[in-house]
Amino acid sequence: MWKEIRPQQTGRWPDGVRLPIIISVHHQSEEAAYVFDDGQVDPFDYGERQYGGRRGAWRLLEIMGKHEVRGTWIVCGATLEKYPQISREAKAAGHAFAGHTYEHEMMCNYPAAEELRLIRKTVSVFEDVLGERLRGWRTCFASHNTVDILLEHFDFAWDASMWNDDLPYVIEGHGNRILEIPFSSYSDAALAVLITKPFPPSPFCTWQTNTPRFIWNTLKSQFDALYARGASKAVLMPLTVHDFIMGRPSRCKILDDFIAYAKQHEGVAFITHDEASAWWWKNYAPEEAPSTALEMS
Amino acid sequence: MAKEVRAISDARWPDGVRLPVVLTFEHQSGEGTPLLPGDRPNYMMGGALEYGGRTGIWNILEVLDTLGVTATFFVCGTTAEKFPDAVRAAREAGHEIAGMSYSFDKVRTAGTAREQAMVRKTVKVLQDISGAEIKGWRCPDYRVSPQTLDILSQEGFAWDSSMLNDDFPCLFDCAGGKLIEIPFTTSTADKTFIGYPYPMKGGPDGLTDVWDCEFDALYRESEHGSRFMILSIQTWATGRPAPLRALQQFIERLQKYNDVRFARCGEIAAWCGDAAKS
Repeated sequence: MWKEIRPQQTGRWPDGVRLPIIISVHHQSEEAAYVFDDGQVDPFDYGERQYGGRRGAWRLLEIMGKHEVRGTWIVCGATLEKYPQISREAKAAGHAFAGHTYEHEMMCNYPAAEELRLIRKTVSVFEDVLGERLRGWRTCFASHNTVDILLEHFDFAWDASMWNDDLPYVIEGHGNRILEIPFSSYSDAALAVLITKPFPPSPFCTWQTNTPRFIWNTLKSQFDALYARGASKAVLMPLTVHDFIMGRPSRCKILDDFIAYAKQHEGVAFITHDEASAWWWKNYAPEEAPSTALEMS
Repeated sequence: MAKEVRAISDARWPDGVRLPVVLTFEHQSGEGTPLLPGDRPNYMMGGALEYGGRTGIWNILEVLDTLGVTATFFVCGTTAEKFPDAVRAAREAGHEIAGMSYSFDKVRTAGTAREQAMVRKTVKVLQDISGAEIKGWRCPDYRVSPQTLDILSQEGFAWDSSMLNDDFPCLFDCAGGKLIEIPFTTSTADKTFIGYPYPMKGGPDGLTDVWDCEFDALYRESEHGSRFMILSIQTWATGRPAPLRALQQFIERLQKYNDVRFARCGEIAAWCGDAAKS
């Protein structure tokens, strides 16, 4: 059991920060590739997704490095084992990390004990391969057990799995607290995929069905609205990109252009979930913050 | 069993070529049309695809001829049988003819014997009709079987272009020897934006947008490393006048760069072959 603690006062970011942007890089390579009823993995979907691990993630890292911005790498445990070098370089460049299940399991389809086992397995892969003690988690399709499991068994400072709010909020339960940093469906996956039957994507229905201009327009309109609102209220822009979608050259150019556009505005800060968590705990409820949250402040 | 040796990320293009651009045209005439419920033929959709065999390819050949550009045509065997003149004309204009199955055959679960017979039949038909040597292949549904690369290498192919997982050509060690895989992408394919016949997401302007963005990104990256650009284009989609105009304008834009060169898949494979040897 758990409850949300609704902030009584409006949370705020550090002085001078009008619009923080958190880039979440979903690095999941071929984990969720479609499997046919006969048990064979779909070579088409597998190849499209594997591109993310082989090339797309590197391109995203390069573009973010070019602009000297950092974000949070949301990595599947199995991907980290197969493609460790990219995460090592992202870590060396100062990016933050979150676990994203082991093989992109849709947690809503698993019983609690299996979900707990998969989270533990993923956490230990990060320790073994990357020497990284995870502070944050982003599940794939939360189950109704997810929040309880995170509170009861882990000391994550933050979770970033929910789509239900604009700003972070505190969740309390099992004698523990965690900061939920919500995001939204305005991600490159939502912007890219045409949901049609049959799933998986076919040669006529891929993960890439929107034009770069459409992605640009959506990012820019989201940014412009939040920047205007940020003059008087706390705002946050979650920007979710996948290695196999936004990591393609034509789509990465939009990320490149968007970061350049955003950086022209005063008070825009590209931050990680770790930084957002530390700032929010410090400004909202320093006495209640979990110890892992303030290490980054 | 085919095994990837390495991605050829260090390919050296010929002097003066910073970024090769490969136009690949997939040429069918309705063989790939999905059936209506009850396995009834779909004449309306079939007609939209047949357009490529009857008319679209001629429109494309005219534009390429005007601009002096050669490309790779992936051809279904049955399309060549139904419309042999266009395939012959493509060959005579200096385009590369490559295989794309006999009749849009999906090989993922076909089994080795059937797939091998299909490949042989396709090669014979395309060679007999066009006079071209068939050295390259693309699976029509972009789904290789576990045996595809082995079979192609045993049948004397030099390269395949069915995979979607990389930016660089990759060297494979196969049952019949070395094979170069030239990956491509649906992210810039015309049929992603000009549907089947639906949807029309972006239309001709969308093609201009995505091709420009892809080129700009790869041209920038090619300053520091080896890159190539490859486009998957359907004769039934971009063969229509409006998207064809978008293609023409895109080619004209690239022709202003003196270090960009249009190449065929066979040239990419040959240039990579040199890199693979060293």
